Amino acid sequence: MADPILDVRNLSTQFFTEEGQVNAVDSVSFTVEEGEVFGIVGESGSGKSVTALSLIDLVESPGDIVDGEIWYRNGELAEAVREDSPDAVDGTAVDLRQLSPSARRSLRGPSFSMIFQDPMSSLNPSLTVGEQIAEAVEVQRRASANPRSTRSRTQGYGLGSLLSGLVFDSREFVRSESRERAVELLDQVGIPDPEERATEYPHQFSGGMLQRAMIAQALAGEPDILIADEPTTALDVTIQAQILDQLAEIQAARGMTIVLITHNLGVIARMCDRVGVMYAGEFVEQGSLEAVFDRPTHPYTQGLLASSPTVDGAEGRLEPIEGNVPSLVDSEMPDRCYFADRCPKAMEECLDKPPELPVEDGHSAKCYLAEQEYDPETALPEGYFDE
Amino acid sequence: MSLARFLLRRSLQGIFVIWGVVTVVFGLRFIAPGAPENVLLPPDVSEATRQQVAAELGLDQPLYLQYFDYIVGLPVGDMGTSLVTRTPASGRVLSTLPATLELAIAATVVAIVIAIPLGVISATRRHKPADYGATLFSLVGISTPNFWLGIMLVIIFSVQIGWFPSSRRPVGIGIDAILADLVALQLEAAASGLRDWLYYITLPAITLGTYFTALITRLTRNGMLEELGEEYVRAARAKGLPETLVRYKHALRNTLIPIITVLGLQLGTLIGGAVITERVFRWPGLGTLIINSIQARDWPVVQASIIIIGVGFVVLNILVDALYTYINPQVGEN
Amino acid sequence: MAKIGVVLILLIVIVAVFAPFLAPHDPTAQDLDVSQQPPVGFGSTSTEEVPVQENGSVVIEDGNIVTEERTVTENTSWSHALGTDGNGRDVLSRVIYGARTSMIVGIAGTLLAAVFGVVVGLTAGYYGGRVEDTLMRASDIMLAFPSLVLAIALVGVWGTAGIKIPDPLVVSGLSETIRSALGLAVGMPETITVPGTVIIVVALVNWVWFARVARGEALSLRGQEYVKAARAVGANNSYIIRKHVFPNAITPIMVLATIQVAAIILLESALSFLGFSGTNLSWGFDISQGRQFQSTSWWIATMPGLAIVLTVIGLNLVGDWLRDALDPDIGGEGGV
Repeated sequence: MADPILDVRNLSTQFFTEEGQVNAVDSVSFTVEEGEVFGIVGESGSGKSVTALSLIDLVESPGDIVDGEIWYRNGELAEAVREDSPDAVDGTAVDLRQLSPSARRSLRGPSFSMIFQDPMSSLNPSLTVGEQIAEAVEVQRRASANPRSTRSRTQGYGLGSLLSGLVFDSREFVRSESRERAVELLDQVGIPDPEERATEYPHQFSGGMLQRAMIAQALAGEPDILIADEPTTALDVTIQAQILDQLAEIQAARGMTIVLITHNLGVIARMCDRVGVMYAGEFVEQGSLEAVFDRPTHPYTQGLLASSPTVDGAEGRLEPIEGNVPSLVDSEMPDRCYFADRCPKAMEECLDKPPELPVEDGHSAKCYLAEQEYDPETALPEGYFDE
Repeated sequence: MSLARFLLRRSLQGIFVIWGVVTVVFGLRFIAPGAPENVLLPPDVSEATRQQVAAELGLDQPLYLQYFDYIVGLPVGDMGTSLVTRTPASGRVLSTLPATLELAIAATVVAIVIAIPLGVISATRRHKPADYGATLFSLVGISTPNFWLGIMLVIIFSVQIGWFPSSRRPVGIGIDAILADLVALQLEAAASGLRDWLYYITLPAITLGTYFTALITRLTRNGMLEELGEEYVRAARAKGLPETLVRYKHALRNTLIPIITVLGLQLGTLIGGAVITERVFRWPGLGTLIINSIQARDWPVVQASIIIIGVGFVVLNILVDALYTYINPQVGEN
Repeated sequence: MAKIGVVLILLIVIVAVFAPFLAPHDPTAQDLDVSQQPPVGFGSTSTEEVPVQENGSVVIEDGNIVTEERTVTENTSWSHALGTDGNGRDVLSRVIYGARTSMIVGIAGTLLAAVFGVVVGLTAGYYGGRVEDTLMRASDIMLAFPSLVLAIALVGVWGTAGIKIPDPLVVSGLSETIRSALGLAVGMPETITVPGTVIIVVALVNWVWFARVARGEALSLRGQEYVKAARAVGANNSYIIRKHVFPNAITPIMVLATIQVAAIILLESALSFLGFSGTNLSWGFDISQGRQFQSTSWWIATMPGLAIVLTVIGLNLVGDWLRDALDPDIGGEGGV
């Protein structure tokens, strides 16, 4: 197997709120192979979206990535970086965490791009759809024209031209070739009459059409890795299937790598090659789709699968195990397995936090059941955690 | 709805509002104690002379006829005769209007040029010294009566430091004079005219502009903070758009759209502020005329002033709405 | 920040209420001997030679009395801590008494505007239809008048008559007793001038904001289930407005009222500054007086202005805090 395109090690992202430190992503490690679809599944609040934002360096205050490495394999980038910061390079891989913020930003578009849950709020309501896609094309164009400089990208765009641009549509940043490319992209994602639609505003689009436009925007930079955060959750069921087909088609055509975040097991089953299950900021189980779905080891994964009525249908919503995802406030986090108080198979061992344990080759779980059989003798009595 | 239909509907509403203003203003005169013609006459005048003057001014007519005459006269600019100078009231108002407009426009320019960048800086450096400074400035700015601010500026910059004049602006300095020099290609005269113009208008413009600077700074800051938290901003960053563009092209654009409407509503405050600023700097504008006319009980001039201000307010608001429709695509739909 | 606002407002209210105890002088008493006296710390200074004293006697060296140079501040006194105006009246006492006028006009004007505006607005919003149309058009017309210009015109027409009411603290003899016991000047003004016309005028130009907010609230409450339910069981309309609609509209009205007190204080000071004052114990009036001395005695205009700024900052801080805490959706006109 080739080296993974993305190798995330011990990534931790925390939020510093009034209630205290929140460990949204808690020392997460996983790899993504080139050209595969990697799924991250979990309930809301499990930290899957923050993981996605951490990959693309868009965690906003009061949050911050506090620890970990994100190795991204890109020969060109490695060559460019090697001279200035040799520590950040390992072979053809680069640790993104050691790059400057501006260098990381310049990877958005050409290397990483992202689709968000709600297309309606993810596009600027006061700019035309075409303009916004053209912006993404322009970013890529300028980056490839002058890869090491970020200065050239903002040239010719000051506050003065902005103020006039508010009244008279601003056209300085985006050149006409980019606009034409935007229309092509709209056409590629299956929007009829793309030339006309490019001049329309987001509120004139339906939800499904907007999500297609968002995909077009994400594709504009021809990214190596596309991060899709709940891309179909806000859409009607019939539209969901169309969008997933569209994504699958593009992925197949371009050999693109996709990190797909969802709470919907049906979507995972339909799209993914490998999958990671998140709970309380941790990856509790990961492995190939087949391994995780057919031989789930962690009781949480088992619960998820059991509660999902039809794994193939797009309808497989999660309402799994009794209880809620625990608060991720650092001071309230126990030392035991975070799932123990909801776990039907909690044992005495579980009062010590389990490490990541191998189940089989390429399949691991943060659960003692990966190594041993469930032993009712050592089971914790019911109501053990109800103080 | 098309822009033309929108403008037509707003214009009809505007005409209604202006009619209301005219009616209220016309009524104002009749709640004033004493017969209007008494203003012109010494107290010991004979009844016959008084009646003759009243007839001359049309004041002997029944009220509804006077009202009718007034309304009919308006479209052709007839707003009665000044009781003090015996010249058309509209002429007196219009002759003072340029000075007030100069002041109002200068203040607005000062406000916009300072406030929008300040608000953006404040929002993007949240909880940093620049933000606290801007927030404190806007709090003090909206809480300071501008007449007092004007006097303080005069005491500091005119009396103590001597950078600016404390005297009234002489006749012959103004945009009109500068433009005339430019047209006549008298560039040197135009340059010195511009210098003089700035010399006299700086303090009044700051005085009038401070409240608006503070207000727009605050609106821009709050608006930017809200917009920068929106999903589309994150999406714009995710596609690699430079931060300058994220802020100015995306977030600021959506911030300014509602600010424009707020400013439309604040035009009344701008004019009220101009009236009182003129008083502080003895600026030869509409505000000075209004106050002098009220003190002289020269009602036709007071009425004409208020009506012209009302018309200006209505027209500007229609323009603001049209601009709003133009830059905010979502309004055009419904 | 809101705490600072509350402290400022409490301070001003206390100063206004207890003015006869707090003012060092009768604010109207003229003393031309000490006119235009600067505040403490801003007096003109000179140096003079003073004999050096040791153990109560002068020091003599080489047959001469040893002296040292000492800076002496002239023409200021703690008796007039903030100086005096052109007629020798105590600026601090006038600032203290000015707080009364601002508070009376601010609170009474806001109450009057609120009562009128809320009644009209709730009625219009609740009944809808033609009543509402009429109100909205009337408020459009009101908004086309710059409030200051309209206020000037109304005050110009009606004059600035005020009502003199006896000051209970003075008439009861309470303040005189305490003041003389403390050795302070006695003979404080026996009446408070309530600038009635000005109050009516500021209420007339500001009621429309209340009407708009109240209408908006009534409009949204009209469709609520419990209002419909009340109507279904046969409650009459005025009862529903009083018992159901008004209590729910009270939050945004309170927030608006806080901001309006600030706006009205600014409006009153502007009117006073322009010479349309119902009383000459007013900050705006004092600023207009001080303006005549701007080239020689800066403090006369400065001190009352600072008082206005602090009061309005206090109200704005509290208003902002209420607005953030209660989050009503209101507009509202600010300053002058």
